[in-house]
Amino acid sequence: MNTSDFDREWRLGELFDARMLARIAPPLAELLGADLAILDRDGAALWGQPAAEARREALVLEIEPAGYLASSKADPARLHSAGRMFTALLRAEARYRMASALHLEAVTQDFETLKLEHSRLLASEARYRKLSEELEARVEAQVADLETRQRQLYQAEKLASVGQLAAGTAHEINNPLGFVSSNLSSFKLYLDKFAALHGRLAEGEAAWQSLDLDFVLKDGAELLADCSAGLARIARIVADLKSFSNEGRPPTEAADLNACLQHAVSVIGTPPPGIQLETSLAPLPPLTCNPGHLNQVFASLIRNALQAIQDAGRPGTVRIESEASADGIHIRIADDGVGMSPDQLARAFEPFYTTRAIGTGTGLGLSTARNIVLAHHGSIELASTPGAGTTATLFFPTAP
Amino acid sequence: MPDQDAGSLSFKLVYYGPAQSGKTTNLLRLHDILSPELKGEVMTMETKDDRTLFFDLLPLGFRAPSGLLIKLRLFTVPGQVAHDGTRKAVLSRADGIVFVADSDRSQETNNGEAFQSMADNCHRVGLDFEHIPLVVQFNKRDLPGAVPEAEIRERWEAAPWPLHFAVALTGDGVEATFESLLRALYRRHDAELGLAREHGVGEQAFVAGMLGRP
Repeated sequence: MNTSDFDREWRLGELFDARMLARIAPPLAELLGADLAILDRDGAALWGQPAAEARREALVLEIEPAGYLASSKADPARLHSAGRMFTALLRAEARYRMASALHLEAVTQDFETLKLEHSRLLASEARYRKLSEELEARVEAQVADLETRQRQLYQAEKLASVGQLAAGTAHEINNPLGFVSSNLSSFKLYLDKFAALHGRLAEGEAAWQSLDLDFVLKDGAELLADCSAGLARIARIVADLKSFSNEGRPPTEAADLNACLQHAVSVIGTPPPGIQLETSLAPLPPLTCNPGHLNQVFASLIRNALQAIQDAGRPGTVRIESEASADGIHIRIADDGVGMSPDQLARAFEPFYTTRAIGTGTGLGLSTARNIVLAHHGSIELASTPGAGTTATLFFPTAP
Repeated sequence: MPDQDAGSLSFKLVYYGPAQSGKTTNLLRLHDILSPELKGEVMTMETKDDRTLFFDLLPLGFRAPSGLLIKLRLFTVPGQVAHDGTRKAVLSRADGIVFVADSDRSQETNNGEAFQSMADNCHRVGLDFEHIPLVVQFNKRDLPGAVPEAEIRERWEAAPWPLHFAVALTGDGVEATFESLLRALYRRHDAELGLAREHGVGEQAFVAGMLGRP
């Protein structure tokens, strides 16, 4: 049995050390009125010097003597009483010692349990840390994978849109190109006639008539005018493409968008008969932008609105509104014209998508407008009800 | 292993069980009923509302024909769940166990948990639970809600431990439980300690000596 076990057999000398005995024994001897010695269970003196013939009074802690009181002169009855008193003290001390030793054991046990749990927790924490690292790595790998795929998807979409753009551009340019080149070859034939005139100058007026040069002159001028118109159309497509490809200047100028809107309105000029233009412009903070491009956006939107009312074949109103909020500038251009079907609305921003007759629209207006707005970190949305009208809503964030 | 020195041999027996199943009452009744050659007082440690906080201790003993003093120290553990550390410390170094269960049907879960904690704690303090002398006592048989004896016997049929039924308050079954543990204890240690061979104490004498029967 271990010397720290609470349930060991406690010895008298252990319960009462020499100092404690020196405090208890003298008053006990005084009460006894005689000599006194205190012995351990083997008879060895712990306090005092017992005479050889001394009477012994057993001090029973549990069922055996833990020690003895010894006196040679004391009255036996008194010695017995002293023994009972000392035993009571001894038992009280033993109870106290056992309780505290047990408490210590219990605490140690709990501490050992805690240490064990702690080491288990550490192990499990290490496991989880490893797991979390692995998870992190896996998430990173997956994110990288996703990003790659997204980039690929974006590239593919870009390529598709470039392809679409190229096809549209080719179609739009081919048309004028065709008649310009046919006009030019006709014009070359006309020049040949003038060359022939040179050999027949002697015939005079007859030669002029015979070669039908009156017609050649008139038709030649028309051919050249057609060529100019065709080239102008090509030039316009190229200009639109330029802004579509977003290679314009970065927005650097501070401008008032109300001024841009008014400029767009003035560029368009007097609206067709039966159509009203209403503007409701609230004061706006200046916006760092590319005013030339925005003029183009607004003009294009207003033109669309006017066209939508004309298509409806009835009188109508184009309403232009602007207002500022805490985070930016809002602009609405609304018409009460034909409106768009959901299908048309869904494709409205696609380059070269147009509902106009061939030659009247390039199909680049809205798609260019959106590219310009996006270049300004803004947004453009279309809401439309067939037969009731369309509203374009633009938002430009103002720098924080 | 019992504690041994030149002239004496000391066994530690522990009354284990759920809170308020009657462990201390068992000890108090044994103190009243038994009359061995040597019998100490029941040492009751600090209590709070009559609930054991540390332990109770009843020391008993008798002298073998060889002169060897054979001592028993009966301990109770605190039953409340919160005192598991103390329970483990008291259980340490036990030579035998009485598991005191509460017969009330509402206490079945507590009994089960306490029994499991006893088995776990035995392993933790290094006791061989498979072989330690153990008897199970279902106490409070007088309760109206007590689980019928037949049902308990059927449930414990496969278990190797002796079953006893008691009403500790009246002392009914308390001595029988204790005797059953004494016999298990004797059989476990007779050979290695030479109780019969060297000290002239047979199983009957061992039981009679502790119970104080002629």
